Amino acid sequence: MNTHQQTGDTWLSPVQSLAHKLNLDSPWVKHKLDFVMPMGVTIIRELLLALALLFGVSLVVFTILYAAPGDSFSLLLSGERSASATEEVAQSLGFSNSWFGQYSTWLINILHGDLGTSIRTGQSVFENVVSATINTLNLTLAAMLVTLIIAYPIAIYTSVRSATPLNGPLTIFAYVISALPLFWLAYIGIFVSTNVFDYFPLGIGLGVEDDMEIMQFLLPVLILGIGSGTVSEVVRFLKLEISRVLEEEYIRTAKAKGASIWRHGFKEGLLLPTSQIISSKIPFFLGGAIIVEQVFNWPGMGRMAWQAAQDRDFPVIMGIALAAAILVRLGSLVHRMIYIIVNPRASHE
Amino acid sequence: MNTAEHLKIEDLHTYFYSNVKRAFIHSVNGVSLTVNKGETLGIVGESGSGKSISMLSTMGLINAAPGVLQGEVTLHTKQGSESLLKGLDQFVKIDIQDKRIISVKKDLNAWNKQVENNMKHIRGKEISMIFQNPKAAMNPYETIGKQIVEMVLLHTELRNKHEAKEKAVYWLERVKIDSPQWRFDNHPFGLSGGMCQRAMVAMALSSEPSLLIADEPTTGLDATIQSKIIDLLAELQQELGITMVLISHDISVISRLSDNIAVMYSGTVMEQGPAKAVLDVNSDKTHPYTQALLSSVPEEHNLLANGHLKSIDGEVPDTIDIPAGCRFYARCKMKHSGIEKQCHHENPPFQEISPGHRVRCWLRIN
Repeated sequence: MNTHQQTGDTWLSPVQSLAHKLNLDSPWVKHKLDFVMPMGVTIIRELLLALALLFGVSLVVFTILYAAPGDSFSLLLSGERSASATEEVAQSLGFSNSWFGQYSTWLINILHGDLGTSIRTGQSVFENVVSATINTLNLTLAAMLVTLIIAYPIAIYTSVRSATPLNGPLTIFAYVISALPLFWLAYIGIFVSTNVFDYFPLGIGLGVEDDMEIMQFLLPVLILGIGSGTVSEVVRFLKLEISRVLEEEYIRTAKAKGASIWRHGFKEGLLLPTSQIISSKIPFFLGGAIIVEQVFNWPGMGRMAWQAAQDRDFPVIMGIALAAAILVRLGSLVHRMIYIIVNPRASHE
Repeated sequence: MNTAEHLKIEDLHTYFYSNVKRAFIHSVNGVSLTVNKGETLGIVGESGSGKSISMLSTMGLINAAPGVLQGEVTLHTKQGSESLLKGLDQFVKIDIQDKRIISVKKDLNAWNKQVENNMKHIRGKEISMIFQNPKAAMNPYETIGKQIVEMVLLHTELRNKHEAKEKAVYWLERVKIDSPQWRFDNHPFGLSGGMCQRAMVAMALSSEPSLLIADEPTTGLDATIQSKIIDLLAELQQELGITMVLISHDISVISRLSDNIAVMYSGTVMEQGPAKAVLDVNSDKTHPYTQALLSSVPEEHNLLANGHLKSIDGEVPDTIDIPAGCRFYARCKMKHSGIEKQCHHENPPFQEISPGHRVRCWLRIN
């Protein structure tokens, strides 16, 4: 430790002074402490929030399903419609209980790790939902990648080179492809692939059966990536962020240093916006996935939810609602983590 | 004293074009400044007088595209002279009909490319800058150490990261940051304003530039810290013998450091000369504006009867429609009936009244 005169404007963060007291003078220890503690706090807070959210989601979805008309067992009766038979099936499935009775039973089962079985197929809801979630994740993440691949060059080009003749057409292009309706685009995609490429692109069980071919994967991904309506939004958001960051004072300092403005602007101008937009667009992509999965027969959450809603297959609907909520929370958690890693200031806020 | 020229700015014009008003904003209007090797030039003036803009123009750092940037800026380096604004005017096309501006077209991309080209070996290496508000001016996402190391690696012979780190710690120590090896790993937000400004000075000097431009280095800091930063700059300037341009709206800050002083008002230099001559309160040779600035420094003899500080009435005029006469005419307290007509209608020339001391005022010429 050198013995410089006290400049009067010294300040130690709580973590630093703790490290100082513990004689952990090494910058490495201090660095790690500064880094790990806020990280842990964030994870714990996000997990608690996620639990509360899941409880809320289950409550709302369950209540809506309870209040909705229709039942899930008429189908099972296979034509027999006598009152006694109906009563018997309802009894065996637990439907004659009150709202509270049904919900508490479901909740207790959940706490035991049991999501129940599908009323229609009798299969385990947990297994079905997990495999569907994985399939949907494949679809949505790849589709997001497509969206970003389209949006990034446009955003960067138009924000850096403000006065080129390509600027207008590129922006219009982004808006036009965002305005294409997904269901229409999907059928056009099928039409083109069957008529032009002579290929029938229906997904037949990605992850379940491994004989999926590249086109069967690629076409739905492309369609969802283009048609989810987020390209223009991503372009606009990125453009805004990039041009805002390029006006920042520290970018001017970087220029005055003769350093690369991209190296200095990368974190705030590209990395954070990307993580933010991915995490905030997860619900949109899940919504779009319902249509795409339906059209392309993709065995994911969207199709499963659609089917289950038609069948009033309550345990499955509940399972998918939970899975979707978890995905959304997970996206936000990942974004928070990236934010803290990139911006240590966040841990002091 | 060594009086070789280091940086020479001749007839610099920086005009911004306002699309709404269809007119130029004449932010810097014919500024000529000379900085000699090893000396400090202080540029003082109110906000909007064009002092920062003229230095930012010199460095090619103006973000909003200026409509016009004209003049000659010559930097004398060990390798020879460099013209910093060369080739820029070919990218601007101004269409004027009947004295009205129809359109201003500018090839921004080519312009930027040319600026980068002119500045490639200048920024950081020959000229370093420090800015006001250091917490925003240093990258908040990187540790200060990393930012200094970057500067060292970019502009000095050192290529080894370890050596560069040692160098950075040395500079942090040099600007009197205590426990520099600790502070190396701090982000700007973890430092106080004064410390952060010290770190910025360390960063600017770590490339061993020949010229340091300090753009309002004390603005936004506590008064006591301000004073320490000024002391530090004075000390380092003495020890390293670098040339410095200090920009401030605070004439007391300027007076502590400068060998020469330029007083700017409304985009032009009103007075330039040796610090001693310009700051002489009792002199009847200096510009009324300089005198007004000096009399608004918080000192006992500048207080009014009610204990309040004197101030300059009125505001800096906008620089779109420049009056024909003296720019300071409207606020000048020393105009009198004998000379008033001339002040109102004719712009005074920049007259040398004693060696190296020039004033733009009719009072001092007649």
